[in-house]
Amino acid sequence: MTLTERAAAPARLPAAGARFTLALRRVRGQRWPVLAGGAVFVAVVLVLLLTPWIAPFDPAAQDLTQRLAGPNAEHWLGTDHLGRDVLSRLMHGGRFSVTIAAITLLLSALVGTLVGAFSARVGGLVDEVLMRVVDLLIAIPDVVVALFLIAVLGTGHSTLIAALTIVGWTPFARLARGLALEINGRDFIEAAEALGCSRTFIVVRHVIPNAARPVTALGFLRFGHKLITVGGLSFIGLGVQPPDSDWGAMLLDAQPYMEQSTLLVLVPGLAIFVTALSVTLIGQGVEPRTDDRA
Amino acid sequence: MLRFALRRATVTLATLLVVSLLAFLIPYLSGGDPARAVLRSRVSDNALDPAAVEALKADLGLDRPLLAQYVSWLGRVIGGDFGLSFTSRGPVSELLGNALGVSVTLAVVALGTAVLIAVPLGTLAATRHGSRLDHGITLVTQGFVAIPEYWLAPVLVLVFSRHLGWLPSAGWETPASLILPALTLTLRPLAYVLRITRAAMIDVLAAPYITAARSRGLGSRATLLRHGLRNGLLPVLTLSSVWFAGLLGGSVVIEVLFNIPGMGQLVYRGVVNQDIPVIQGGLLCVVALAIAISTLADLLGELINPTARVRHDAH
Repeated sequence: MTLTERAAAPARLPAAGARFTLALRRVRGQRWPVLAGGAVFVAVVLVLLLTPWIAPFDPAAQDLTQRLAGPNAEHWLGTDHLGRDVLSRLMHGGRFSVTIAAITLLLSALVGTLVGAFSARVGGLVDEVLMRVVDLLIAIPDVVVALFLIAVLGTGHSTLIAALTIVGWTPFARLARGLALEINGRDFIEAAEALGCSRTFIVVRHVIPNAARPVTALGFLRFGHKLITVGGLSFIGLGVQPPDSDWGAMLLDAQPYMEQSTLLVLVPGLAIFVTALSVTLIGQGVEPRTDDRA
Repeated sequence: MLRFALRRATVTLATLLVVSLLAFLIPYLSGGDPARAVLRSRVSDNALDPAAVEALKADLGLDRPLLAQYVSWLGRVIGGDFGLSFTSRGPVSELLGNALGVSVTLAVVALGTAVLIAVPLGTLAATRHGSRLDHGITLVTQGFVAIPEYWLAPVLVLVFSRHLGWLPSAGWETPASLILPALTLTLRPLAYVLRITRAAMIDVLAAPYITAARSRGLGSRATLLRHGLRNGLLPVLTLSSVWFAGLLGGSVVIEVLFNIPGMGQLVYRGVVNQDIPVIQGGLLCVVALAIAISTLADLLGELINPTARVRHDAH
């Protein structure tokens, strides 16, 4: 979108649903990756939502007579080392992986956008210090922050979410600040200031709605990374704890048996890959170059 | 410029101080008693003699005010003394030194491979912006980003170690044992560096000075190398520095998976064994390195392109 187009755009955007269709219609170049990504992700979410009703078995039910069975009519994806149904475990595990990644992203986007928008609005020393802190936090690997929090708080879902949010908000802050500076220079902001609107009002009603689309796109683009990190922590035994299990924990369980049953290793990894890729493709379509700006 | 550098140094130091305070407080934050933790690590007995705990507290100065303890702890840490590991009983600084060497090797090989492949390919994609080749490269990088490394690694081990027997499946004894972990770690930085090279080069190649250089009759390759790459490489440098720091301390999963004695595995073992001095030392070391690398990259960037600072501030 050119600058004139941006300037001509209304200050307030239409409702979320309409905004999303608009975004999709604006998709440039090749459209099929976005549509494919969207279709796959909707399918994944539907399956995960319906899991309690459609999963063929109890994910914890063991059948020791059927250990490491290959795919068959009863167990579509075979069974694991305790004779548990892999398909059911995959469906139940996905609920943990995807939910934790999504909550983390929502929190990160919320905190980051608020910090970035206000930082740009306030400016001066506050802005400089905040952005320097963002620069430094971005450099710290999120797994290390997660390990630190696990050492202090112990393992658990809330520890995971907290750890990934502490580092995760920084790219959103950087993006939102850049966008806010751009938006602040536009005429409707000057008009709002002339009308005597407060700083908070301007940020909440004008700056944030206008930054919403790129921020949403960044959320989609970072989803895969979060999903992989959550799975990674579970894979080294510090994420989702037994008796619960997510895709990373399934991979950990499958490790010793990978020569007997390759499928056991392939399936959870493919689930992460397909889900992560589908969401990335959506993000790429909503706003192609967002990731380079954050 | 001096004022700018001073302010930056102040924020950096303040961040380091906050992190050091957090590291110092780990045993208190986790609700434990450091004296009991030390003693338990020595006698591996949960029913501790209260008198022994008190004696150790006085001995280690743990009965002093928290602030005084922090100051003396910080003094020792700055001097490179992180205390003794609860599990190995050796000095933590020695463990950190050994692990750091391993992690630096792994990070340099993985990131070096990534940059060497990503920069030429990204430039190629940018010069053929919008072509089928460009779309193909973009799609492949998106695929790379979505691959969990703890899935790729077992699959590679299965193929190259178990079935073909070409490469070792774990360990850090021979140079060959570097190949699989480095290969797994390369993909994600490769994708990100490629993407940013492509984006930066598309911007640069659209700039008026490129047209000017071309119109003066400069060949397309010379234009690309002399004017294009030089201006386009700054974001690549910044991003690579972030990835270097990330690989140094953040390759926990791969180091555990391949049993590589690096920083990631050291901190992981520290957390699993509740080895507090190791966690403290590891955390401080990783964070300090990350901050140092990011500051160094900023300075280097300003040397290459002094206008970048102005642009960054105005952004």
